[in-house]
Amino acid sequence: MNGRRIGALTLRIVRTFRHDRRTLGLIVIVPLIVMALIGYLVGDSGKQALRIGVVVPAITPGGAAAPVLAFQDRLAHRPGIEVEDVPSEAAGRAGVRAGSLDGLVLAQATGVGPTASLGPITVVTPGLDVQVETPIAFAAASAAAEVRGVSLTPGDLPGIAVERVSLPSNVRPSTISYAAPAMITVFGFLFTFMITSVSFLRERSSGTLERLLASPIRAREILTGYMLGFVPFASIQALIVLGYATLVLHAQVAGPIWLVFAVLILLVLGTVNLGIALSFEARTELQVIQFIPLVLLPQVFLCGLFWPIRTLWPPLQWISKLLPMTYAVRALREVMLAGAGLLAIASDLIALAVFALAMIAVGTTVLRRLRV
Amino acid sequence: MTDHATGLAVDAKELGKTFATVRALDGFTLGIRTGEVLGLIGPNGAGKSTFIRAVAGLLSPDRGTIAVLGRSPGMAVAARIGYMTQSAALYDDLSVRENLAFFGRVYGLDRSTVHERTDRLVRLLRITADVDRPVHQLSGGQRQLANLACAMVHEPQLLLLDEPTVGIDPELRHRLWREFAHLQGTGTTVLVTTHVMEEADRCDRVAFVADGRVLDVGTARELRERAGASTVEEAFLALRRAAGS
Repeated sequence: MNGRRIGALTLRIVRTFRHDRRTLGLIVIVPLIVMALIGYLVGDSGKQALRIGVVVPAITPGGAAAPVLAFQDRLAHRPGIEVEDVPSEAAGRAGVRAGSLDGLVLAQATGVGPTASLGPITVVTPGLDVQVETPIAFAAASAAAEVRGVSLTPGDLPGIAVERVSLPSNVRPSTISYAAPAMITVFGFLFTFMITSVSFLRERSSGTLERLLASPIRAREILTGYMLGFVPFASIQALIVLGYATLVLHAQVAGPIWLVFAVLILLVLGTVNLGIALSFEARTELQVIQFIPLVLLPQVFLCGLFWPIRTLWPPLQWISKLLPMTYAVRALREVMLAGAGLLAIASDLIALAVFALAMIAVGTTVLRRLRV
Repeated sequence: MTDHATGLAVDAKELGKTFATVRALDGFTLGIRTGEVLGLIGPNGAGKSTFIRAVAGLLSPDRGTIAVLGRSPGMAVAARIGYMTQSAALYDDLSVRENLAFFGRVYGLDRSTVHERTDRLVRLLRITADVDRPVHQLSGGQRQLANLACAMVHEPQLLLLDEPTVGIDPELRHRLWREFAHLQGTGTTVLVTTHVMEEADRCDRVAFVADGRVLDVGTARELRERAGASTVEEAFLALRRAAGS
């Protein structure tokens, strides 16, 4: 071991970083953004509560309203829960279907008058998001346990029936089924972004892009060629992830499989152009790699995979609405879990198409700017 | 097509281009006659590559005018220009044949024309044995020949060669210059940049370039005579001194 040689090498690396200000900036900014996001998401402050509907029972002399009212009162005091009175069970169910309520908790009493006690409880949720269903069911179970004067065993939700109104059957999907839509989206995005951004960076650094720009090829032809070239490979990757998730891991696909592909293709189209646009901001492959956590992690955190979007701090909710992964995950959940058709996810497909078009416009502008 | 009024393939007047604080072109004026081999000779940073990129339509001068094949540089004339970049701008994983096919198609050639020209070019440049090898397996010289072939595949009227002989051995350099002379015989105008002064004698005319402008233009002999020098290098240095740079 020669200290002088090792020292020279170490110093060379430090000097390289010092001269490469963009990489240096990314080294500082990327972890700060990611950690700030994680810190907020994992912490309790600033979170929005889940909105739960309850039907307030009619109070009649000798009736059985008291235990239900006590339960609803306890439920309203659960952390992360906001209770909203709905006029009827039908109105509450409609609210859950429409998305204005995250859930509906129906409680019944058994017996009448002073002997009345809290009976069975039903939690009505869309059933598409385990991150919504679990806290509501747990809140209902713990409120019920308080009313009944019993302690709640962790992981046990006694006397709570869950009704999943958006699913074709009430059977709780497997964990992998819940995770599959996000998994497919994340890998589809990641693979496409990596391949495109690195390939385009190489096109630039090898000089072939300059040669292309000196030829009669137009910016939009370059982008279209890139998209057509990458889409089959990105599709193959998406097919492998989807095939593995469904055939090996038995994730469910209740809706048409072509619709799953339509979502992925739209995501890939946008991502190819995002990769191209961002690769122009990178000078080295190291910088491209540093872009990955910057573009991927906020999307993963804010797409509803780990935390329901509704519970995020409102500015983060707005950011999540600008991110393509949010729409892809939502659409895939609808198709794969709820068996939704084209019309049901039309707004998500439109959002993905808008993202793709916006990225195509950005990519075209960037390429045109290089020409003169 | 040329500018019939001037008979010039490239007509640049008073071009200026500044990058941050660096004046890459500073009153660059040059006319390149149709069918000649014109060498841009000057030190590194003289503005040679900047000028060639302006001719290729890859950058817009801040001031001055430029006409290329009678038109403004850019899409309108791009199909009639061949551009050989300083480094071998080829796809490393593709073979020479695949690179030629790609660039031929980009310039709008059909499959059979690409095939025919590939065969002709690889014979001409003597890279037949390497035509199906991936570019990353080729030597530096072979890569430059493949690079030149890609710039010639669409038979351009104006060929821009940016430092084509850098880093290659004398034998290969000789072959390259022979090909440039051959191109001249086909009526192609060739603009070639170099900082190797000895290459001046191989050009029909030479433009001495320094500090973003043309110091003098003429045949190598004319330049030597005007400067009262015995070599092109001495002539260049004398001109620079006279220009005060």
